[in-house]
Amino acid sequence: MRLTRRELLATGSALAAGLAAPGILRAQGVKEIRMIEAGGKSGESMDPYIKPFTDATGVKVVRESPNTFGKLRSLVQAGQTNISLFEVGSTSMEQAKALNLIEPIDWDAVQPEAMYPEAKDPMGFGWQYYSTLMAWRSDAKAPKNWADFFNTKDFPGKRTMQDRPYGIVFALLADGVPVDKLYPLDVDRAFKAMDRIKKDVAVWWSAGAQPPQLLKDNEVQYAVSYSGRVAGAPGIEYTYEQAILDLAYLVVPKGANKADKAAAMRMLREFSKPALQLEAAKIISYTGPSPALPAMLPKEKLAEYPTVHREKQVIHNVKWWFDNADMIEKRWQAFKLSL
Amino acid sequence: MRIGRNAGSYVVPLLVLMVVAFDVPILLMLASSVLAPHPTVAHWAELTETPIYVRVLGNTFQIALITSVVCGLIGYPLAYWMRGLGARAQLAVVTLVLLPFWISILVRTYAWIVMLGNNGVVNRSLIGLGITDKPISFLYNQLGVTIGTTNVLLPFLVLPLFAAMLKIDERLLQAAATLGAPRRAIFWRVFFPLTLPAFAAGLVLVFILTLGFYVTPAILGGGRVPMISNMLDVLINQMPRWELAAAISTLLLAATLALYGVYRTIAARGAA
Repeated sequence: MRLTRRELLATGSALAAGLAAPGILRAQGVKEIRMIEAGGKSGESMDPYIKPFTDATGVKVVRESPNTFGKLRSLVQAGQTNISLFEVGSTSMEQAKALNLIEPIDWDAVQPEAMYPEAKDPMGFGWQYYSTLMAWRSDAKAPKNWADFFNTKDFPGKRTMQDRPYGIVFALLADGVPVDKLYPLDVDRAFKAMDRIKKDVAVWWSAGAQPPQLLKDNEVQYAVSYSGRVAGAPGIEYTYEQAILDLAYLVVPKGANKADKAAAMRMLREFSKPALQLEAAKIISYTGPSPALPAMLPKEKLAEYPTVHREKQVIHNVKWWFDNADMIEKRWQAFKLSL
Repeated sequence: MRIGRNAGSYVVPLLVLMVVAFDVPILLMLASSVLAPHPTVAHWAELTETPIYVRVLGNTFQIALITSVVCGLIGYPLAYWMRGLGARAQLAVVTLVLLPFWISILVRTYAWIVMLGNNGVVNRSLIGLGITDKPISFLYNQLGVTIGTTNVLLPFLVLPLFAAMLKIDERLLQAAATLGAPRRAIFWRVFFPLTLPAFAAGLVLVFILTLGFYVTPAILGGGRVPMISNMLDVLINQMPRWELAAAISTLLLAATLALYGVYRTIAARGAA
């Protein structure tokens, strides 16, 4: 049975209304809650969750972006308590924990539907999986793996890679390190491999919109890109082979007031519903945390979604990146200066 | 005396606002480089022990210098030419110079990509005309950054310089001519020295503004031209290293103030 979007939303709302005891939120006088998210299509893909929540509780949700880590830190340090939810990357969540910037998630209040275990962190709700993968112009020779991507002789053309150190994982894979031996990363070996490719990297991108644009403009022929930015884009091909799978979390900034936090927990329940995750996945090709979701995704677009290709990918090792953040950042800047 | 006192009473609230809203936060920020999380010189030690940060700072000053020189080379003749135009033409040209102010810096930056990219208008024309067979890399290097910063900052130099040129008393030039000075001598010994303070001020302004550029090097530099704002962005927004960022900012501010001191000395000599 296939439901239309409207029917789905109506079903979701009806269920929510039954379960939520919305009177509690109304009684506490919460009129709206504010959340800070990553912006763009990814931000728009939150609307399917927000609508049933607002219908059920009468609480409006205001979305704001961007979600830089510095913003979270300054909000908390300034005692700004009117932000209920903040979207962070997995490494940023570890930083936030270390700096005591976030409150635990009240999972008893959320009462989520089934979720992947890593998405159910005591301090964060993993709401959206995304991958960093290799993409190329359809008219360029197709690479199969990172060894091909780093082989500029047999796969000629300019590259673009992220202006962050995460690409060294790809360098190690290109250099023949097997996936299960990646961590702890051999940083020296990785930068040696990066040295091989740096003269062919025309652009080190800083915004997710850049790689598809650079490919489209023929400024580069090969790119490291976020999956959702290239999935379904005409003239661009990509593979999930050896991509990095990561998860974006929603966290509660320290000091959020009780009523707002209760409302936020209630909203997170919507985020756990596979039917709503399906709606979100139609807006951008990223996937929610429900194990039931992959089976529901539209068959013809199935290949576009990160979690469908779980077994092919490398899971982002949050702990290593958090523990080595300072060292790797210095190495990265030194590498960049030698360009 | 009365006028002065009145003016003072108007200025005081503004002054208080400036001190509270601008100067105090800056001091707090700078202080955090030695006081956070407790009194320490560790952040400064790290700054001096890690050559990367100092090198990025040096690179930023280099770009600022190049941009100032290019802006000067283009801006001075432009302002001089504008001075000689008729009133209507002057209005038209001033409007054209001002036009970029009304367009978002982001739009202008992307416009350069459309113009100068590998598939851009310029490269396609050059290839079409047979001048080159491979696209020329205008972008994603120091040249790209210089083009972008110059485009944004040129009006900051041209407009004050043009205003200063208009103020020059025509009779001074006529007097020099009457005394038999050739045109070249009139320009170099009378006109140019009179415009020098405004010219120097414009150059220093361009230099200081370039130091803070963020969008242009991020996009037109292709991440290959490291500048201090981009590094500060990483330290503040990606990594929680505010104290180190504060130390770098202190260094940047000190260097800028020193430069300002140099400028004042030059300007004072020019006036004497």
